[in-house]
Amino acid sequence: MLKTLNQRISIVLFIIAVGYLVLTFQLPSYGYTSVDADVIPMVLGWLLAVLAVCLFFSKDSETEEQKARRDIPKKDLGVLIAVFAFIFVYIMFLELLGFVVVTGLFIFFCSWFLGYRKHITNLIVSILFPLLMYITFTELLKINLPQGILPF
Amino acid sequence: MGSIEGLLTGFQTAFSIEGILFVMIGVLVGTFIGMLPGLGPITAIAVMIPITFGMDPTTALIMMAGVYYGAVFGGSTSSILLNAPGISGTVASSFDGYPMAQQGKAGKALAIAAIASFTGGTVSVVLLMLLAPALSSVAIAFGPPAYFALMFMGLTAISSLSEGSTIKALISAVVGFMVATIGIDGQTGTQRFTFGNVNLLEGLDFLVIALGLFALAEVCTLIINRKDRSIQNAHKLGSLRLTKKDFKEMSGPVTRQSFLGFILGVLPGAGATIASFISYISEKRIAKKPEEFGKGSVKGLAAPEASNNAATSGAFVPLLSLGIPGSGTTAVMLGAFIVLGVQPGPLLMTDRPEIFWGIIASMYIGNVFLLILNLPLIPYFAKILTVPRPLLISLVIMFSMIGVYAISFNTFDLYMLLLFGVIGFLMRLFAFPAPPLILAFILGGMMEQSFRQSLTISNGSLMVFVTEPIALSLLIIALLTFVVPLIRQLRKQKG
Repeated sequence: MLKTLNQRISIVLFIIAVGYLVLTFQLPSYGYTSVDADVIPMVLGWLLAVLAVCLFFSKDSETEEQKARRDIPKKDLGVLIAVFAFIFVYIMFLELLGFVVVTGLFIFFCSWFLGYRKHITNLIVSILFPLLMYITFTELLKINLPQGILPF
Repeated sequence: MGSIEGLLTGFQTAFSIEGILFVMIGVLVGTFIGMLPGLGPITAIAVMIPITFGMDPTTALIMMAGVYYGAVFGGSTSSILLNAPGISGTVASSFDGYPMAQQGKAGKALAIAAIASFTGGTVSVVLLMLLAPALSSVAIAFGPPAYFALMFMGLTAISSLSEGSTIKALISAVVGFMVATIGIDGQTGTQRFTFGNVNLLEGLDFLVIALGLFALAEVCTLIINRKDRSIQNAHKLGSLRLTKKDFKEMSGPVTRQSFLGFILGVLPGAGATIASFISYISEKRIAKKPEEFGKGSVKGLAAPEASNNAATSGAFVPLLSLGIPGSGTTAVMLGAFIVLGVQPGPLLMTDRPEIFWGIIASMYIGNVFLLILNLPLIPYFAKILTVPRPLLISLVIMFSMIGVYAISFNTFDLYMLLLFGVIGFLMRLFAFPAPPLILAFILGGMMEQSFRQSLTISNGSLMVFVTEPIALSLLIIALLTFVVPLIRQLRKQKG
């Protein structure tokens, strides 16, 4: 039944539209407003549902370039997921260990993982970049970044 | 005091050694802060307020104005080189600026941006000088129905923002509008789609979405293509020199969009973001080869760059002559005025002409400084492209993270950034354009607000959009932007 990619995407979008509409119907209503809080979301929910149906029957064919873009080798996909996992860990430890430490570690290990082999340069950048940013933000711009375990 | 006489007084103030020095400091600091993703003109001005304590108000405000347009100028650099728009006003610059940098023409892209910004800025300062008092009355004539119509007009042009399927562009726009509905509803106080999470009460910040959809999605593409030798020319700066053909190509868009940007800047609530998007869309509509847009077109870069800088000066019209801030940035500027003991408004021009005209005169000088300072710095800015790809990927991720964290000091927004990075990448894979999503997100909240304000004024009657002439004219234009291409298409099919 679902022959094209557009048809598969349209099903996902239709489910999102239905979910959004269900949430919209749960919004409380107030009698004395000209336009209640649920009016615009309701219009948007129906609009997305209609557009999802249109996409289902759309005859737009993909270009070769678009098809090629989706052709990602499994190894690269693994690398991509790993980098996102690095970012996730970075966010988790940012406030705990502090900006300078976590950012330094992230830059060094992420660059190394992505294939950068000039370790000395990598180390220098990993130390200087977070320090420079930290000083710029906290001292010059008066914007506090997490201090963490460092004493300054 | 007439305009010419006033301007001469202003030039006297701006051309003093102190004036020149502080304009220079202002534009330099502004450019630097604007280049950092997440730190736009609002932060730049807010940071400068404590520094101006005790300074002469005229000098301080001249410096502030320099910081403002310097930051808008600086924002383009990260948009063009990294596809990481730091402020919403420079998103449209990345559509063609970044592809140019990828094609090894980063130098040319930055030079076009510098020249277009300079022209946009200068044209609008001349207009500001000539039209400030008259335009302020036009600005207040724009009620909620007219604003709604203006934003509706911006949204109807969405299909021309992207290549490929119109349905997919419309889906992107609807999703963007849906994201804009997250948070507390301004009129009824209802929590919408927050799932009981306090972090979502204020909705999502523009930067979370822009950096996710553009910068992090770009990072994903860079990771996949990190070993691809065929795109090594992305490391090249290329020549800074613009050919006669380039100048010829950009002259039309720059002239047109400088005027349009200024007019849109004057309208409170519109500002540099809407100005840059509308400029991009309108240039694409009238271009002989619209298919070149989004692939490194000179016109596609010059138009939003001229427009966003022109809008920046335009935003000073309601601020200086009415005391009404039209945007977040001018609201902070208003705060700076008040801190310094200056009340902007109708009396400013007569009571404190040295401040009113001093700021305007300093803008002429500031624009020249921006050009003189930034053109020679282009090779240094573009060094960023020579950074080895694995290191560049890590640094772009970090830039995005710092930008988002510095706004909210909340790691929740960083998780959201990650989520929008994934969404942005999936959109790329399945050919859903990101620009309509970001445009609808930016316009969505404002559009809903003006729609509801209009209906509150009219006791729920939709006729308010037809009876107000400005709103009606804009709605007709919006309708035409939909219908005319349709008729053309039908004619082509018949032919």
